Amino acid sequence: MSTQTPSAEIADLIARCALRDRQAFRTLYGRTSAKLFGVVLRILRDRAEAEEAIQEVYIKIWQRADRYVAGNTSPISWLVAVARNHALDIVRARRPQADDLDVAADIPDAAPDPERRMQSSEDGERIEHCLSILEADRADAVRGAYLDGYSYEELAQRHAVPINTMRTWLRRSLIKLRECLSA
Amino acid sequence: MSQTADGEERGGREALVAEYVLGLLGPREHARVAALIESDPALAAERDFWLARLSPLDAQFAEQVPPARILPAVERRLFADAPRSTWWDSLALWRGLAAGALAVAVLAVGLNVTRPAPDVSALTTQLVAALEEEGSDVRFIALYDGEGTVRLTALSGSETPDKDLELWAIQGDAAPISMGVIPVNERSSVVLSERVLEGWGQGSVLAITLEPKGGAPEGKPTGPVVAKGAVHQI
Repeated sequence: MSTQTPSAEIADLIARCALRDRQAFRTLYGRTSAKLFGVVLRILRDRAEAEEAIQEVYIKIWQRADRYVAGNTSPISWLVAVARNHALDIVRARRPQADDLDVAADIPDAAPDPERRMQSSEDGERIEHCLSILEADRADAVRGAYLDGYSYEELAQRHAVPINTMRTWLRRSLIKLRECLSA
Repeated sequence: MSQTADGEERGGREALVAEYVLGLLGPREHARVAALIESDPALAAERDFWLARLSPLDAQFAEQVPPARILPAVERRLFADAPRSTWWDSLALWRGLAAGALAVAVLAVGLNVTRPAPDVSALTTQLVAALEEEGSDVRFIALYDGEGTVRLTALSGSETPDKDLELWAIQGDAAPISMGVIPVNERSSVVLSERVLEGWGQGSVLAITLEPKGGAPEGKPTGPVVAKGAVHQI
């Protein structure tokens, strides 16, 4: 166990959850809950909602552990995707009623801690490089959508452009980004 | 797909999947694209492409420790109907106890009556013992379930090379009756033999001795007593 990389250990814990190992689930929670809570809190921007959401996220993880295919994605990316998608579902569901978007409270963007940055810097270089060739505010919009779950409306407001302009911008930027990422 | 106003040619389809992965689409559009991806392996590959390429951004989510009550709440929601998640299985609880036998017995009673739907007849026949001995770090809690089984939880103690722990029942003036070798530092259960059951009850003593591997060769204790305790009704 102790010789495993953190990533292999997480993958192992997920596999054991698929076998209904409750102790493994508890350990997995201990290792990953701070990260996943960070994800739902940042996207939902509401502590009470995030506390409810994180419970549902771990319930999904337990129920869907058998769908994780080791090797396809890194285990922590898979867990983050579960958390992020769950938070986005909540945000999406509340959007129609919440047309007034100017009240979104800002949670300060915490800098990633240096150790984590190190770990993922190699993979991260490519996306960062490709974002850097976009215009700065468009790269920010992509980051805002991914990390903060901003909608087109929110992005348009933050960048002070009409929604249609934002959508056109972003779609063009995504096509450019794709070219760079697959190069 | 080709019927949408802006004509989703190749770049458009890819951008649409990217928008889907980023979470930019409204509920209807999101559901529509999800269905398209499910039925089109090329689009599924496109989704995986974006997920993989964007995932390095995950490093920018700052960690936030959730409140301590979350995990128990999750476990309750997932495992509430499961039969085996009783206080007895909480090794941490037992390890956390200060080990006074009386305190343990009293606490065991308190916890026991708060269990959902306790079986009254079992309760009246349940027995508990705290096994310990001065100068030894081997400590166990034993609980008799009223139905022929003693469950043991180790509070402390570590393995001794080439030695095993053996459990004995001592009843009145009779010679100790072996109840078998027990594992160190984990939970176990022992089914009482007929012989033990005959004299079993309040006042019976459980003792643990250190014996050669496999247990005392002649069925009589040979090693030092590392823990013992009288059985109490609870």
